[in-house]
Amino acid sequence: MSRVYLYALLSGPPACETGRGVCAERLRIVATGGLVALVGDVVDAPAPSALTLRAQDAVLRRLATELDAVLPVRFGTLVSDDVALAEALARRQPQLARALGRVAGCEQMTLRVWGDVATAETPTAAAGGGPGTRYLAGRRHAHERARRVPELEPLRTRLADLVREERVERHDRPPLLATVQHLVRRGAGARYVDVVDAARDSLRPWRVSVTGPWLPYAFAEEAA
Amino acid sequence: MTSPTRAAAREVLEATDDSLLDLVDNLLNRGVVISGEVMLGLAGVDLVYVRLQAILCSADRVEQRHAR
Repeated sequence: MSRVYLYALLSGPPACETGRGVCAERLRIVATGGLVALVGDVVDAPAPSALTLRAQDAVLRRLATELDAVLPVRFGTLVSDDVALAEALARRQPQLARALGRVAGCEQMTLRVWGDVATAETPTAAAGGGPGTRYLAGRRHAHERARRVPELEPLRTRLADLVREERVERHDRPPLLATVQHLVRRGAGARYVDVVDAARDSLRPWRVSVTGPWLPYAFAEEAA
Repeated sequence: MTSPTRAAAREVLEATDDSLLDLVDNLLNRGVVISGEVMLGLAGVDLVYVRLQAILCSADRVEQRHAR
């Protein structure tokens, strides 16, 4: 029995042929509740391999050239049928519509920050109060630190006019210290790389690697 | 015993390059997650496994590059 494999949400139906999917199935469009989904009918989700991951990304990249926004769905997502798909999307319609608007006309660049030692912790303010207060202050500090990448400060002003949104993930496991995802206007990826390359000396001792442009995978998470 | 998914993950990681590691991270760990009626074709434990391995492999690669 076939099931519905969900690839992405689209800003609208593409003018071009949807073509075939990862399992060589014919792709089709499901419009429901103001959302447009790209799906294929398959027996099982494709197993993750270099071939299938590249194939799924290629399917979406091809359509992205025709559309203002493509919001990728996590690899391996299956629903039982179109009715289940419509119900699942209806539950998140406002969030998904907002996410589509956020990524419209944009692409993702990925920066990784590398170093031989973890960045020193910012000293916390003199702890006052009781153990509960100190505990909460520690939690707040850890939460704030998870969103900061002080290693990239020399780069921030140079990238300011290119970056629309940012997602930060700290690893703090040398040599990998952090991953930063930037949402930039489509076509700005080459300039983004140039700006990063020009800033490498000012970032020392930290090193950075750049990949992209990607579809905005990291900017779909809030729709979850 | 190695699961088919885990074996597939190993295949990804052993035949990979930097951009494929990002592809693994993007496709398996990001993107819209829809729950409820939806069945994920991959077990959560394998996603975690793939991601950790991807990060570790990518770290090794950078170390090698800077050691040259």
